[in-house]
Amino acid sequence: MNLSLIDPFVLAQDYPESLTGNLRSGHATCVKFNRKGDFLASGRVDGIVVIFDVETNGLARKLRGHTRQIQSLSWSRDGRYLLSSSQDWKCVLWDLKDGSRVRTARFEAPVYIAELHPFNHLLAVASLFEDQPVLVDLSSTVPVKHILPSAPKRPRVDEDSAINEKQAAQDAKQTTCVTVFTASGNHILAGTSKGWLNIIETSSCQTIHSTRLSTSVIIYLRLTASGRDMVVNSSDRIIRTIHMPNLDDPDLNPENIKVEVEHKFQDVVNRLSWNHVAFSSTGEYITASTYKNHDIYVWERSMGSLVKILEGPKEELGVVEWHPHRPLVAACGLESGRVYLWSVITPQRWSALAPDFVEIEENVEYIEREDEFDIHPPEEIHKRQLDLEDEDVDVLTIEPVKGEIEEENSFTMPVLLDIDDSESSEEIVAVGPGTMRRKSPGEGREWMNGVESGGSGDERGKKNTANGTPKSQGRNRKRKVDQ
Amino acid sequence: MDSEYNGSRYGSPDELGAASYYGSPTLRRASHSTRQSSAEVRRHRDRDSEDVEESPDELDHTFYRDETRRGRRRSSASSGENTVRMGDAGPGPEDEPENEILSPLDRMQPASHLNVHYKQKLILRGHTKGVSAVKFSLDGRWIASCSADATIKIWDAATGKHSQTLEGHLAGISTIAWSPDSKTLASGSDDKSIRLWDIHTGKPHPVPFLGHHNFVYSIAFSPKGNMLASGSYDEALFLWDVRAARLMRSLPAHSDPVGGVDFVRDGTLVVSCAGDGLIRIWDTATGQCLRTLVHEDNAPVVSARFSPNGKYVLAWTLDSCVRLWNYVEGRCVKTYQGHRNEKFSIGGTFGWQNDAAFVVSGSEDNRIYIWNVRSKEVLQRLEGHEGAVLGVDAHPTENLLVSCGLDHTVRVWRDDGGHNM
Repeated sequence: MNLSLIDPFVLAQDYPESLTGNLRSGHATCVKFNRKGDFLASGRVDGIVVIFDVETNGLARKLRGHTRQIQSLSWSRDGRYLLSSSQDWKCVLWDLKDGSRVRTARFEAPVYIAELHPFNHLLAVASLFEDQPVLVDLSSTVPVKHILPSAPKRPRVDEDSAINEKQAAQDAKQTTCVTVFTASGNHILAGTSKGWLNIIETSSCQTIHSTRLSTSVIIYLRLTASGRDMVVNSSDRIIRTIHMPNLDDPDLNPENIKVEVEHKFQDVVNRLSWNHVAFSSTGEYITASTYKNHDIYVWERSMGSLVKILEGPKEELGVVEWHPHRPLVAACGLESGRVYLWSVITPQRWSALAPDFVEIEENVEYIEREDEFDIHPPEEIHKRQLDLEDEDVDVLTIEPVKGEIEEENSFTMPVLLDIDDSESSEEIVAVGPGTMRRKSPGEGREWMNGVESGGSGDERGKKNTANGTPKSQGRNRKRKVDQ
Repeated sequence: MDSEYNGSRYGSPDELGAASYYGSPTLRRASHSTRQSSAEVRRHRDRDSEDVEESPDELDHTFYRDETRRGRRRSSASSGENTVRMGDAGPGPEDEPENEILSPLDRMQPASHLNVHYKQKLILRGHTKGVSAVKFSLDGRWIASCSADATIKIWDAATGKHSQTLEGHLAGISTIAWSPDSKTLASGSDDKSIRLWDIHTGKPHPVPFLGHHNFVYSIAFSPKGNMLASGSYDEALFLWDVRAARLMRSLPAHSDPVGGVDFVRDGTLVVSCAGDGLIRIWDTATGQCLRTLVHEDNAPVVSARFSPNGKYVLAWTLDSCVRLWNYVEGRCVKTYQGHRNEKFSIGGTFGWQNDAAFVVSGSEDNRIYIWNVRSKEVLQRLEGHEGAVLGVDAHPTENLLVSCGLDHTVRVWRDDGGHNM
């Protein structure tokens, strides 16, 4: 509702310009905004997932359940569920209503990236380290895994069995590095270690089309919110944007799918590699963090030109994310584990401070109104004013705001008043009056041992905890709001 | 009127103490000779406290801010039944407006949908000093009232049964606000702290919100419950992170005590008002002032709130007016008059029946006033209180009003003529 009062020139600024803050809770390795953009989930090196409230920059929830670094995070559409994947070979689906674990899926390898289906929070796709990617059905308590193909689908042109065999042998060596759902969730896009893009049908788990985009590994793929554009980060130091064909067209013939590269972004001078890429909220801009460099590049997509280099932190940045509808970029510092935020700084308009202030470009001569110095009795003025108040007012009808996500029973996360925030600032504990010491490593992580020694810690954890933390640990939980 | 109370006033230790301790209200008053400064406002309150023969501290700043009704949509009930009733069940003779202000709008649309007929249902006694604010919880189950006796009482909204007394503040409480989930109550007190209370246990949250340098005058929860805005006698507007009890932003908002704060429906704007006569609209995210509203007379503004749809701001001023502002255009669109409000921070709220809205407010003539939002006519005057009525709130779903005042009571009013909400 503030849009009507904000300077339109400020609103027209649609990419961030300056470093405006940072968030800290442990050492963050990956971040993700939810669809509404009011929360930012952050996965940490120690396996804890924390959720920041974007409005307050404070901690909204802590989720404990992984024992190693978090690799990726994925929000459900309504913002109630969060899927985290970790190097401890697990994916956990969290219910943010009470912080409980809904499902835990175990794999035979560390997980690269796991993503939830856009409309079904009980279906996920995961790409694994040196293993076949899997489609995981989480609807039953024991997750069902369907293995997805990694080998590209090649047109059978020649009948030379020797060549075919050679190709098949080569394809068998390919692994999938990244898997994402399309906007409708009917297809999965997979990028392989040999630079192929596979389009896999979700229902049949079959590759319907393959295109070679690059000669080297495809590190990351992601789509715009509309799903019409895709950005591909490859280890050949080129970021490609691609117009997606409409895969949900019922008349679609997989043979005719054409995947065409729209732009290639690269730094030809410095030959930079890109750690991570993200689309802006509308897809007009692409942003990327740079390998062994402190900068974040922002390109615009209509012309393919570089518009901004975001600077600030003196460290290399890893995962970079763009807020779903504001010019706000978040990126993780690799060394400090801070989450840096870039945004637009709006100057205070002085005319807002007093109703008779007007901001003018240059001096203007004041022209006095005809009746400016006329003297009327105050009663008459008052009466005249009251008579003027004849317009119809409606204080009740709520007009839908453009671009606002209004859903019937949308989920709101409960506000917890007892979040243990001890690790959010520097890890220093007070030992006595005036004496502080650095927190010793491992302190406050007794829960980890507890869960591990309990064998199948998940099930046990679910029974007697709300947040994956056994109550017997007697942590600082004074009051639960979500009881 | 003033001189009537002045006689014995200056001997009160509280008054002198307040004057010397909290800076120089007299100086401030001198510098704003054209209007009644907040210091004077406060003094007037003290006078009145003597009027009801209580301790001099009895009546602090009181004000109103209604948290519970924000974000609520209007009732979808049809207006048919009420329209039928229009003819016969009009307001009684004593409800006839005396100085009715008829605007052209009324003449064009004589058939107003509004036909309120509230009657007193319950008197809740228990507070030992004046009650400064009263609020329905958002789920409609509870009534919370806070008082100069430093306690908060929770009552069952349906039966009026006393449920809890929350004790812990060291001085009188001026303001309360319900969290959106109705499980937590926030209170702002003259001990400069803001506390959160778990209403199931009746215990305060261990970490109070400390930071204000003077009495906390008004508080409001954001619609999500993650932020709290507070206005204080220290003339600042604070935004708090509720989860961490951390001060997020301190806005040097005004040059007089901040009498009212409120969040807009979607939480992106905060309104604050103060004794300096200004109403300011702030951007929650950036902390910038986006608009300032001021009426020519610069009368001290004691209470302000957004309309249910967030398009207007309703503000109470000490010239006995309640004004409705279109804050985008910076224009006053309606002025509601008839009540008396010259000394106290009186509050009120919006209510509605059958898609037609009314404004309800307390008054220093011991009555509650209900105006039609569109026509500005007084729809009803409720009598019963034996002292100035300081706060009124409307139930989120039923035709219930609750009021509180200097007579130490909380009163519940019901409109039995309009069950069709």
